[in-house]
Amino acid sequence: MSQKLLDVENLTMKFGGLVAIDNLSFSADKDKITSIIGPNGAGKTTVFNCLTGFYKATAGSMFLNKENERLNLRKFSDFKVAQKAGVARTFQNIRLFPQMSVLENLMVAQHNKLMDASGFTILGLFNSPSFIKEEKEAVEISKYWLDIIGLTHRADDDAGDLPYGDQRKLEIVRAMCINPHLLCLDEPAAGLNAKESAELNKLLLFIKNEKKTGILLIEHDMSVVMEISDHVVVLNYGKKIFQGSAKETKNSPEVIEAYLGTEE
Amino acid sequence: MEKKFLQTSIKDSLFTGLIALALFGPIVGLRTVAKNEVLEVHPKWFIVLIIVVVCAVGRFLTNLYVYNRDQKTGIQSSIGKSISNFLDTKGYQIALTAIIFSVIFPFLPFTDRYLMDIAIMMLTYIMLGWGLNIVIGLAGLLDLGYVAFYAVGAYSYALFAIHFGWSFWICLPIAGIFAAMFGVLLGFPVLRLRGDYLAIVTLAFGEMIRILLLNWYQLTKGPDGLTGIPRPSFFGLPFKSFPDEGEQTFHTFFGIEYDPMQRIIFLYYLILVLALITNLFTIKIRRLPIGRAWEALREDEIACKSLGVNPRNTKLTAFAIGAMFGGFAGSFFATRQAFISPESFTFIESAIIVAIVVLGGMGSQTGVVLATVFLIGLIEVFRDFESYRMIAFGGAMVLIMIFRPRGILATRKPTITLEKSSS
Repeated sequence: MSQKLLDVENLTMKFGGLVAIDNLSFSADKDKITSIIGPNGAGKTTVFNCLTGFYKATAGSMFLNKENERLNLRKFSDFKVAQKAGVARTFQNIRLFPQMSVLENLMVAQHNKLMDASGFTILGLFNSPSFIKEEKEAVEISKYWLDIIGLTHRADDDAGDLPYGDQRKLEIVRAMCINPHLLCLDEPAAGLNAKESAELNKLLLFIKNEKKTGILLIEHDMSVVMEISDHVVVLNYGKKIFQGSAKETKNSPEVIEAYLGTEE
Repeated sequence: MEKKFLQTSIKDSLFTGLIALALFGPIVGLRTVAKNEVLEVHPKWFIVLIIVVVCAVGRFLTNLYVYNRDQKTGIQSSIGKSISNFLDTKGYQIALTAIIFSVIFPFLPFTDRYLMDIAIMMLTYIMLGWGLNIVIGLAGLLDLGYVAFYAVGAYSYALFAIHFGWSFWICLPIAGIFAAMFGVLLGFPVLRLRGDYLAIVTLAFGEMIRILLLNWYQLTKGPDGLTGIPRPSFFGLPFKSFPDEGEQTFHTFFGIEYDPMQRIIFLYYLILVLALITNLFTIKIRRLPIGRAWEALREDEIACKSLGVNPRNTKLTAFAIGAMFGGFAGSFFATRQAFISPESFTFIESAIIVAIVVLGGMGSQTGVVLATVFLIGLIEVFRDFESYRMIAFGGAMVLIMIFRPRGILATRKPTITLEKSSS
């Protein structure tokens, strides 16, 4: 068996007396899609916030295994998780830069690379050739992703003017522009119609198969979860109640109980 | 429907008149005059009546033509749209014309000492507006204490020039660096603050600097101010009517008559160049990764963090660079006035600069110029009306906000476009 990309061990997050995540352990594979599902308030987004450094976990460990190093994500604070460890995320309510153009959104995602190339702005001020070259490459990368989601013709429009479904897709490829090892998607299918959901599935499978990026997915839309997940983790009240393949999950009595309640 | 609308707007305007009466009745209507050691009340009901009628009728008209959504040909949509179309499409031409005009301005036939002074003052405000535009317009950090950096620049220039006798061109960068350091100093404690909270802290910071200048008597001479700040020289050639023995001055070197206007014209070009440098720098840095990160930070800080953008460094650079230009403008101010005191750096200065940036359209460079010319020009035009000029100032702001709620020039051009970069 290949080494897991992400190992979460005994993760606990408490807000005062409230235990949002209780001793949670799971793992995610490199070129697999791992879904985290559960009823509202089960602690799914909190897991993401701990992983991506927005919250400081109370206890436990989260290891990201790259080719030759093992990083403890708990050691990184907010922006460093994306910058140093290469964990990208999207948000439940879309967080684009609405008044900046689509292309600019993707360029901001490549900020750290460009910042180095611009010699902390000083070389950039004098149009150094190395910076111009790096910027051109960044535009090419942006264009590559825009071609994939079919938004190249709107590259210079404000991101806030895009239709909802396109904004979702743009947010995902913007996260991909930081060249992440692990992509965390928080309800990417929320508010999408059937056709847009299908396109989303295609995009996620492309990222998984072609880019070999591990995907961690929070989702309520079961059609998305069942169709593309390789592995499902079910949370309820901050505890893991089940894990297995999509098919096993569908038939698991514990999961049905958590969602629908017990028969009595 | 039509009739009902008319009814509600009449009701609304009568109510407005009532409020105006309640406000202006006591403020304007009752005037106390000291006569024979007794205070007498001199009522001025006629003026109150005029004000109330103006308020009520004005409200009625705006109801009919501005806020009336059914009426598509309302003033706002027609005039507002044509102005905005003109400004949005012709931004580049406006900028070019303004630059050419400002270069030939000192030599136009009607230009006199008074106009030159106003032009220099406007350019100082334009430069400050451009500097603050980096902080407010691009990075979205509402800084109400910008005048502090102006003061730091002015005082550091003055102190270095007086005590060490260094020339303007050495003191200028030093003053800029000092101001930038104070920018970082302000930046650190406010890193986590946003919006209203940030505004309050920056406001306090501006006051702190002023009070510090007022009380640190040994260094700043407190309320007496610093006098005898050296005037700038034209690359080593001073502007003097009676040169010392063997000293070369501007007019002897060029073999022309001495004229006090020579120095004014030199100061004018100095601030013009400084302001244009600020502008070019801002235009350039907006297109660099740091500039894009500033704007992204203004749009959504959490999204920035999720993309690995360091919010601390990004904010601090915005504060530091904005402050640096404030410092440059401050040292120009000091050398022009030859005298500075804390009086010159009160909160109202910050407020005017913020007003210029906001009214110009956040982040718009040309907008800053238009707003400055409009606001400062208006204050000057109304100079003879004394206290009424602040009413004109306020009225102008209200008008801009009615017709251009997002500022005079509100459109934003992307910093990079696919068409251009792929061709």
